[in-house]
Amino acid sequence: MDGATERLYLDALDTLSDTVRLPARPGLLAAARTRRRPMPPVPAWAEPYAARVAAMDALLASADPADWDTVVVEGWNVQELVAHLAAKDGLLAAAVGAPVGGPPVTADDADGRTAEVQEHQRGRPPELTRADWRAQADALCGRLSAMGDGDIVDQGGFAAPAADHVLARMLETWIHTDDAAKAIGLALPLPLPAHIRPAADLCVRLLPLTMLVSGRDGSGRAAHVTLTGEGGGEWDVALGLGETVAATQVRITCDVVEFCFLLSGRGRPEEFAAEIEGDRDLGREILLSAPALSGP
Amino acid sequence: MVEAPDAVVDDRRLHQRIVGGDETALGELYDRLGPLIVSVAVRVTRDRSVAEDIAQEVFITLWERPLAYDPARGSLRTWLATIAHRRSVDHVRAEERRKGTVIGPRLTEPRPPGLEDQILDADEAHRVRQAVQRLPAALREVIELAYFGGRTYRQVADELGLPEGTAKSRIRLGLRTLADALTEETV
Repeated sequence: MDGATERLYLDALDTLSDTVRLPARPGLLAAARTRRRPMPPVPAWAEPYAARVAAMDALLASADPADWDTVVVEGWNVQELVAHLAAKDGLLAAAVGAPVGGPPVTADDADGRTAEVQEHQRGRPPELTRADWRAQADALCGRLSAMGDGDIVDQGGFAAPAADHVLARMLETWIHTDDAAKAIGLALPLPLPAHIRPAADLCVRLLPLTMLVSGRDGSGRAAHVTLTGEGGGEWDVALGLGETVAATQVRITCDVVEFCFLLSGRGRPEEFAAEIEGDRDLGREILLSAPALSGP
Repeated sequence: MVEAPDAVVDDRRLHQRIVGGDETALGELYDRLGPLIVSVAVRVTRDRSVAEDIAQEVFITLWERPLAYDPARGSLRTWLATIAHRRSVDHVRAEERRKGTVIGPRLTEPRPPGLEDQILDADEAHRVRQAVQRLPAALREVIELAYFGGRTYRQVADELGLPEGTAKSRIRLGLRTLADALTEETV
């Protein structure tokens, strides 16, 4: 059947809409809540993360039992990936004084704790792994509600405002949900522009650190970064740690989502699509260093 | 009558919010499309209370597994209507089996595979076009131009030498008459 008849059919039935008395919203929402939980309640600054938790939950709701065995990244299947997220959320939870679920904590580094939680989850029904991961994310969110975005949190020797730690969790949850969606063949919509924007802002602010970790000296230099697409924007960023911008030597323009994925270690930096004007060598150094902080 | 671009952007945004676990987005979608989805189910089931249950379940399905909908493949309106129609047909078939009688419009056998994105099967679409043929000439003319001729309101008005407002209200009357015919239809 052609789309015209379909549209006609719906437009015709739509003229009856004013005669329909719809059962009230609250009943629908109450029933919906029992089937998939809404995003955990958090202050506005933590919403980008809370929404990614809900999105991962939506992906897991859509996954068939067989999908849980699909290998996604790092040789991990979906279940091990979810355990990894629970482990990382748990490390931040511990740092902010929220309850930590799963097996007793003996490792407080990402790799060690990930291995611990993955071992604990191995062989359990996927639904329980999903529930444990979600419970850990909810416990973290519950604690965030009592915190300010600027509270300094020291996690693994990395002291930063709570909001930045949470944005890092947002990025990791987003990227891994996208990894899993690709592996099992589902289309994952982008986060809202209002949620992409602060994550992109964190990625830009990390550039001096990614330069440093890569052994490149950015001191005394700065870049003008234009991230295009919904959630994008423009930044002047000093490439020496703790410096302020006097003048910029290079202008980099690229897609905001691709930039977030580059920082998160997705895609090859040598092939990254960006427009570079000014000091082209510096521009390339910045992009080549960009994934330096991305772990599993 | 091409779908307005802002409706497409709206769908994308609502879907992003629903995937992100924003209940308000589900509520907004329900208020906007709920009545239509109920009408789709009423037309097939002839039972308002059953239709309301089916409609509610369709919205909950979207909430529970929002990645089953892919905005690149069509509008939320069509997607929800397709599921509502299919579930209504399933309901009527189950009722017919239970009672050994035939209710509602004649329903064809299960659709061949590959047509999951369509609301109506070929027979049902044919009946919609037949109902258009039975409209009074003045209404049939505007409906055919707008839907099968791909004209905008303004183009319909220009071609028929009518003020745009008159063309618009004639199309609306045509749609309403068609809806009544489809709802009363027994085969």
